[in-house]
Amino acid sequence: MYWKYVVRRILYAALIMVVCVFIFSALFNTVADKVMRGQIDEQVKGEIVQIQKSNRGMHPEQLQAIRDQRTAQLYAQYHLNEPMMQRIMYRTLSSLVFNFGTSTQMKSLAGSNNVNTIIYERIPRTLLLFGVAAVLDIILGVWLGLVKARRAGKMMDRSTDLVTMVLFGLPLWWLGMMFIMLFAFAIPIFPSSAMHASPPPADALGNFLDLMHHLALPVITIVLFGFWGRAYITRNLVVSTLQEDFIMSARARGLSERRILFGHTLRSAAPPIVTMSLLALVVSIGGGLIFEGIFSWPGLGNLYWQAVQQNDVPVLMADLMVTTVLFIACLAFLDLIYGFLDPRVKVGGKA
Amino acid sequence: MKGARFDQLRTFWAEFRRVKSGLVGLALLGVFILIVLLAPWLSPYSQADKRWRDMTYWIDSPRDARPLWVNWFTSRKYTETQTINAASSKETITGSGSSTMRIEEMEFPYQYKAGYPPNDIMIKLGVTGRSSYEVLIVRPDGKQMSYRGSTTIEGAQVVRLSVVETLASRVYAALAPSEDPAFAAQKDPTQIDPMSALFAKAQPGVFTNPVNVPGTYTVKVKLALIGPDAKLDTSQVLVMGGVSGILGTDDGKRDLWSGVVAGTKWALLLGLLTSLISVAVGVIYGVASGYFGGWIDALMNRIYEVFTSIPLLPILIVMSAVFKPSIWIMILVMCVFFWTGPVKTVRSIALQIKENAYIEAARGLGASHGRILFRHLVPQLLPFAFASMALSVPGAIVTESSLSLIGLGDATVVTWGQILRDAFGSGAVLKGVWWWVVPPGLAIAVMGMTFAFIGFAMDTILNPRLKTR
Repeated sequence: MYWKYVVRRILYAALIMVVCVFIFSALFNTVADKVMRGQIDEQVKGEIVQIQKSNRGMHPEQLQAIRDQRTAQLYAQYHLNEPMMQRIMYRTLSSLVFNFGTSTQMKSLAGSNNVNTIIYERIPRTLLLFGVAAVLDIILGVWLGLVKARRAGKMMDRSTDLVTMVLFGLPLWWLGMMFIMLFAFAIPIFPSSAMHASPPPADALGNFLDLMHHLALPVITIVLFGFWGRAYITRNLVVSTLQEDFIMSARARGLSERRILFGHTLRSAAPPIVTMSLLALVVSIGGGLIFEGIFSWPGLGNLYWQAVQQNDVPVLMADLMVTTVLFIACLAFLDLIYGFLDPRVKVGGKA
Repeated sequence: MKGARFDQLRTFWAEFRRVKSGLVGLALLGVFILIVLLAPWLSPYSQADKRWRDMTYWIDSPRDARPLWVNWFTSRKYTETQTINAASSKETITGSGSSTMRIEEMEFPYQYKAGYPPNDIMIKLGVTGRSSYEVLIVRPDGKQMSYRGSTTIEGAQVVRLSVVETLASRVYAALAPSEDPAFAAQKDPTQIDPMSALFAKAQPGVFTNPVNVPGTYTVKVKLALIGPDAKLDTSQVLVMGGVSGILGTDDGKRDLWSGVVAGTKWALLLGLLTSLISVAVGVIYGVASGYFGGWIDALMNRIYEVFTSIPLLPILIVMSAVFKPSIWIMILVMCVFFWTGPVKTVRSIALQIKENAYIEAARGLGASHGRILFRHLVPQLLPFAFASMALSVPGAIVTESSLSLIGLGDATVVTWGQILRDAFGSGAVLKGVWWWVVPPGLAIAVMGMTFAFIGFAMDTILNPRLKTR
């Protein structure tokens, strides 16, 4: 029965995706059209210059006619003359098949100005940074949460709660700035920016170590910032499970605290711990993306900075769409994990 | 009903008073409110809020100065910022009528003690009408450097001569003979630090390895005022110290303490306003969704899910980049995506409450849906609403500063995020200018902590199971 739930959840995610892309297309329709018209005019101007060069004696009126005709042709090709609703539908469709057109300023590593290329080369880098951080974050967070739950209300529990609250309204990127100042400026043990030294080491091992060296400081920042929150969630879930009747009966049977914690409590508290931790993590990454800009980590988050600075609307919109798609995919994936861990979810069929 | 609601809030407060961190949070909030109210007296620059980006407003303060209290912790002291008025002045008048010329001679002695030399010395002359002037800086060892200039326009004007900006080459010329000839020949005059050379012993190494000489450095100004109407309005020598103010200054000479104080107002305002609107909307939305049930509930759930599926900061970045909103529109836009916070919990609480017999009784007595929603359901959710309001303030502040960091903030106001953007943009992080980076971020963190303390304290009261086992 699980696969049925999987199919339904994936279809639902796809539907939400379509709705979101439609909303974005509608919201940014005007500005995107303007940019596209500008790009077409630019392109036609270039073509006219070419024509002028190849046959010099051409009459200006003739040139103007070619220009008008070519512009109209391209406008028609990109559906620019159609009513607004159709424009929005067209843009939604082309975004859904990941056709984001060309950028106005930015270029990919190879020099292409295809927005897809620019975006695709950045996805793995963002996944690497936040993936490594997420794994460490959850391991540390769940461990600390269990320690806190065992000593609920004691010194250790309360002091780490305090840290959670102190960090609650702190911007991740500011912590990044502080760590750069501490560990790249005052005590220079980590590089302050980028993903590789320039030039990068030639051999594979050197390259890998160099990557790890550059990855270390941002990952440390994310983990130190986030794992308190994970611990807080874990602690609360474990503590409320510890108050259930079946735990009391386990205690009454004289089981050791250790067995109660790992054998009984954790078994029933694990599904919400996993999903709530991952959920909090995914949401915080949605907000933490721009943190990449502090470390000049060349991922999707840094792309927002660069696209804003260069006022590159197509890249900005494509970045938003791709981030949203990744976000929705993560949420759906979480529900699937939850459904797998906790069979009760599937019965209701509701996520 | 009114009395019952009041009682409920009073019990809530009685419990709240027992949570220590909550009280600390309230105290901190009080401090922040006091800072906002006392801002005109707290900050030495009263127009800091309105003229933060007006560089002419900050022109008379030192650049890149550390906070004053840095001197308490260092053995080698930084010079303090001070204003020197003329110690002696002499006026001679020649000619009469339209050819009147008055010559003002003034001396400004500056006692330089040991330690780091000042960041700059600025000679400031307020002149009305035409004049020509000569400025002479005399060192204790008699070496001197001079600069001549004139004012040619009618009307009041202020001449500012900075040693770093206008007199650097004169300092080089005066001291180059003492420097090791081989070195002096190849050293680029624009590369020297004029201030440390000015206060250094005239010996080889004056540019590379300066040894400071304490003593009286005198600025002599000779000003010729041309014409009967020309007059000298003000004359001062500003010693731009290495330390200034409570939090120092940035590379645009702005006083950071004034900036942080001005930012407090906006942080509090946008945080509270955003959380107030969005929690109000979220609570009403959740209650309505739970109360009506059926297809309305289903539809509202779908809308809710669409909003929670959009990553918050990215959409705000793109919207701000495209629409370039003012701070007020930005608050509204944040509300559009922040209201989802309390919905889920509120809905489940509403589902429980609506099963109560008294709701049915109210219905039976002919109460409208609106009356039941706002008189019976919403009041019971008030404590919860306050808690989630407190907990969503930091998010709003962090979101605004993140947008500002990327450069999408409202440029007509000062926010902590914008100060941090300026710092990051001018490389303060990599140059170790900690007094520019730490205070605004710390302010964001402390304000976040304030509301976290308050919110979590309410949360513990609302979920007693979480306290201990």
